[in-house]
Amino acid sequence: MVVRQYAQELEYLERLTPHSWRIKKGFQPNMNVEGIFYVNQTLEKLMFDELRNACRPGMVGGFLPGVKQIANVAALPGIVGKSVGLPDVHSGYGFAIGNMAAFDIDNPDSIVSPGGVGFDINCGVRLLRTNLMLEDVLPVKEQLAQSLFDHIPVGVGSKGIIPMNAKDLEEALEMGMDWSLREGYIWAEDKEHCEEYGRMLNADPSKVSLRAKKRGLPQLGTLGAGNHYAEIQVVEEIFDKWAASKMGIEEQGQICVMIHSGSRGFGHQVATDALVQMEKAMKRDNIETNDRQLACARISSQEGQDYLKSMAAAANFAWVNRSSMTFLSRQAFAKKFGMAPDDLDMHVIYDVSHNIAKVEEHIVDGKPKTLLVHRKGSTRAFPPHHPLIPVDYQLTGQPVLIGGTMGTCSYVLTGTEQGMLETFGSTCHGAGRALSRAKSRRNLDYTEVLRKMEYMGISIRVASPKLVMEEAPESYKNVTDVVNTCHAAGISKKAIKLRPIAVIKG
Amino acid sequence: MSKRLLNALEYPEADKLNLNDENAFRNVIVWLELNRIKKAPQSLSNQLKNTNSKDWYTIYCKYKDGLGCPVLESKIEELQWILGYAVQIETQKNKNLYFKHAVENLQNTNVPAVVAENLLDKLDFRSQEFADGIKALAKVLNTVTHPDPLVTLKAVRKVIIQRMSPDCVENPDKYVLKGTPFPFQDTDLGFDLNDPVLNQAAKILRMIYIQNLRDLQTRANELIVAVQSVTANPKTDTKLGKVGF
Repeated sequence: MVVRQYAQELEYLERLTPHSWRIKKGFQPNMNVEGIFYVNQTLEKLMFDELRNACRPGMVGGFLPGVKQIANVAALPGIVGKSVGLPDVHSGYGFAIGNMAAFDIDNPDSIVSPGGVGFDINCGVRLLRTNLMLEDVLPVKEQLAQSLFDHIPVGVGSKGIIPMNAKDLEEALEMGMDWSLREGYIWAEDKEHCEEYGRMLNADPSKVSLRAKKRGLPQLGTLGAGNHYAEIQVVEEIFDKWAASKMGIEEQGQICVMIHSGSRGFGHQVATDALVQMEKAMKRDNIETNDRQLACARISSQEGQDYLKSMAAAANFAWVNRSSMTFLSRQAFAKKFGMAPDDLDMHVIYDVSHNIAKVEEHIVDGKPKTLLVHRKGSTRAFPPHHPLIPVDYQLTGQPVLIGGTMGTCSYVLTGTEQGMLETFGSTCHGAGRALSRAKSRRNLDYTEVLRKMEYMGISIRVASPKLVMEEAPESYKNVTDVVNTCHAAGISKKAIKLRPIAVIKG
Repeated sequence: MSKRLLNALEYPEADKLNLNDENAFRNVIVWLELNRIKKAPQSLSNQLKNTNSKDWYTIYCKYKDGLGCPVLESKIEELQWILGYAVQIETQKNKNLYFKHAVENLQNTNVPAVVAENLLDKLDFRSQEFADGIKALAKVLNTVTHPDPLVTLKAVRKVIIQRMSPDCVENPDKYVLKGTPFPFQDTDLGFDLNDPVLNQAAKILRMIYIQNLRDLQTRANELIVAVQSVTANPKTDTKLGKVGF
């Protein structure tokens, strides 16, 4: 790889609009298309600092800076349009987290890459609304947080309390949320308000290793650790009154529940297994990439197809997982308030996936094309009238749920036509890391973090408090910066801002 | 069999008849044509009346072909067919009378007799009277009229089916949807037809489409709920008030 000075690197970056930058071809070798990233002034500084640090002599090891990763993805075979970096972009395994890339299915060279999906397959956010107001919840906030903590299994290695045997797991992997529906854990309307209707039809559990199933079985219905959480939130601000009312959010002070979780160890094992297979496929098919972490296989190859089928099974696992936690949250609320979940109006507003690859139709250079869209740390954001979004949101555009970090706010955005054209209907997914996990552990004290939460009036229940500083707001970019950038760039539109009052964490 | 049909057609002294007798046969045919079938042209029926004529058989053949009788093996079979034809004509004539005694109508003899004939069949849909009637009906129902009264009728029918059923009139809340208003005029149509009138029309089509889609989705949800009542794990019933297992 070429080694250049920071100043020389900057020649390949060009400001397009106040909120976007172009990455020109040549920034990394063999780029097939250009890159683009969306930032505001604050986020811009973070991006460029990262690049400058990487240009210092002697900086080797660790992940490449985000901009470089976006450019490397632009060099993958079969990529169309642009390699897109969303405002929350930060370095990840191969692909940056907050990177979106689409590959033409009709091009025989096009690839699928597990690095472009991430290890936590179908990690996503689900938002439930209630008809409760802040004043109804404040007196029982502590008990409610405890009740949620008691019912949702959290933490590393936690086990689910919804009984499952191996046969149930096989069925759940194939059926996704249809399994939860069949068993009665969720409501018919939940399926309606979920991306893909909560089930990827191409899932094939027989393509999943026994090891993954063994890891997955006890973890189904658990929240997990890391950045995953369940939060009781309160509506703080409504930006788009009509979109909010379509979602059943009528006024400030309304209480919601947000669940952020994924496919746990199951998805991780599926990704790990696939990476091994893909390295072999790359050698056989002579696929060249700029980074070894960008292991991939042709979409049409056996390895590519096997990965897509097992990834779909992992996606279904994640949906069943979030559905089980929906069931448990509804029960916890119902018990606390002595009312049925129906009477509490605990409907799912929406459920988004922000680590996934999907086959979608898009217009490229004026022609309709079938693409395999990788979204890693990026959320689908389809515009109004798109056939794949629920009928209730046909006029507003798809709700996009942006989970904040522990103790900061979360947002609901809606998809826009401009986003459909510029970013293949994709937007940001959350705050995005600013400090690495190790750095956070070194620099922050967990008691301090917990005290701060308490000061902000947030009830918190954590399974492993010593890991809390990894997830402290200081370790992340400011989610408001990220969301405002998406709004200003027009790739999605702000609808609602939510603030946590209780946090359940792994 | 022939005798029973003749009886049904009220042929005098049918029981004593010997149909193999050529004369009797001829008389029966003439009687049927004159009293029941009445389809032959005047000249033919006059010739047919002359049963003693040498040409009678030729005339008869002309007559039965005129009725559309198929080629059959014997004269008796031909008579059978002509009798059937005559019965059909009689039945048609007294259709309403028979319908009143049909099985399905017999069951509710207490209720007023149902007029089986569809009165609308006889309506002239293009008449001014019809158009005015529909217009008046639409006005009563607060429905916008269309230049084509049949289209208006369709709309009126919809209103009546959806809002005028006895249950609906008694419990309007169950049927009248209470939506929250939405400024659909300000929403993005997703495309531009470069004509405000066309755009407006397209928007209305969008709304109708979305409503149809909502209906479909609601029915899908109802189906799922119905299936759930069979397949669901009984422990998931929230009415139990028990959290977890």
